[in-house]
Amino acid sequence: MAATALGGTAQADKLDDIIGSGTLRCAVVLDFPPMGARDANNTPIGFDVDYCKDLAKALGVEAEIVETPFPERIPALMSGRVDVGVASTSDTLERAKTVGMTIPYFAFEMVVTANAGSGVTSFEGMKGKVVGATAGTYEAIALENQVKAWGSGSFRPYQTQADVFLALAQGQIDATVSTSTVAQANVKSGRFAGLSVVGSAPFDTDYVALFTNREEYGLINYLNLFINQQVRTGRYAELYEKWVGGAAPDLTVGSVYR
Amino acid sequence: MFTYTFHWNQALKALPQMLDGALVTLQIAVLSMAIGLVCAIALTAFRLSGNRLLSAVAAVWVEIARNTPALFQIYMAHFGLGNFGIHLSPYAALLAGIAFNNAGYLAENFRGALKAIPETQTRTGRSLGMTPVQTFLFIVLPQMLRIGYLPATNQMIWAILMTSLGVTVGMNMDLAGVTQELNARSFRTFEFFAIAAVIYYLIAKFVTLAARALAWRLFRY
Repeated sequence: MAATALGGTAQADKLDDIIGSGTLRCAVVLDFPPMGARDANNTPIGFDVDYCKDLAKALGVEAEIVETPFPERIPALMSGRVDVGVASTSDTLERAKTVGMTIPYFAFEMVVTANAGSGVTSFEGMKGKVVGATAGTYEAIALENQVKAWGSGSFRPYQTQADVFLALAQGQIDATVSTSTVAQANVKSGRFAGLSVVGSAPFDTDYVALFTNREEYGLINYLNLFINQQVRTGRYAELYEKWVGGAAPDLTVGSVYR
Repeated sequence: MFTYTFHWNQALKALPQMLDGALVTLQIAVLSMAIGLVCAIALTAFRLSGNRLLSAVAAVWVEIARNTPALFQIYMAHFGLGNFGIHLSPYAALLAGIAFNNAGYLAENFRGALKAIPETQTRTGRSLGMTPVQTFLFIVLPQMLRIGYLPATNQMIWAILMTSLGVTVGMNMDLAGVTQELNARSFRTFEFFAIAAVIYYLIAKFVTLAARALAWRLFRY
């Protein structure tokens, strides 16, 4: 009706809104190094922060980083506080019923980090132990299911990655499964004594996507092309080298589209 | 601006799980209230005792419990004590944090109630040959509990709502914990939060009505 009243002009979609407003607001988790963190001056830094800035540059607008803890990503999007989530969000089918996911822009491998006092030296060693992970993450869901399957031990979800490592260092939990990037960053930070990465977790590679409102096809199309261009131009490899180090993981799965 | 289609059908499937969580919530609230009540009576007695050390303990407890956020009290019970190698499970930490808070507020509540009890009551008890402890237990305490009863039901409601802070210390069995997990899996935030809000409301309402019914039984002449 409104569109007809405007003489057949199509209603502006979110992509137009962003370009028109001059600002791209990204939901970024700043408690998830090296993807998102704060430097000594409290300035947001990390892979996701740079990724958002690249996206804003491509759109010809300013980037605004909106700090968003993991559990608040959806409320932030739904209430219109952010335009796009650049928040290491696993692209599960369950979540895709709620938000529009792009093609993967990053991939995580999962590793086990344990407290030296716990005696855990492998993924299997976690059986019967008290384990934890960041509530709502891909690895937390997988780990909790594994604990249920083992039928012994217990699982504790914490609100932030920092709390997980704090609990681990204090011996409140014996081990955690996290992305290798986070595990290395935390172990190397020297803030937590007695922690070490003891092995890999046999969970599938965690592909993460950008997300926005489900019906914003124009924006989702743009984001997909942007992700493709980041890889094509070598920018993905460059950012990966800068924040993680080593060869960037493959973002495609063989023998299937998308 | 708010573009969201509610999937009630999917969300309601989680109702049994959420009700299980609600039972844990109620359990923690009731236990924390019982522990808080015992501690609060002790704190009140400490204050009346005239012993400097005991009344200092009571004063510090009440000061901290009343003037710092409940969230910190719970967080300290888990991560604060954890620093010293004392490990409370999320359940125990949540229970301890809320009981600590309850005790502080209830003690203040009782202080107000004490003021409403005339000094002559104590003097009468003493003149009948009762010891100070007997006077407190048999004459002052019953009157204090009676005056403090209805304000204390407020604290019970507050205890129920405080359980939702357990998510910060890894609590996943109570209503807030279950809701958070469901949310993380499916991102159906608003359905789950709406259902949780209704359940919290109903528990609180139920407790209020139950407390009123109990008061009617206990306090009629």
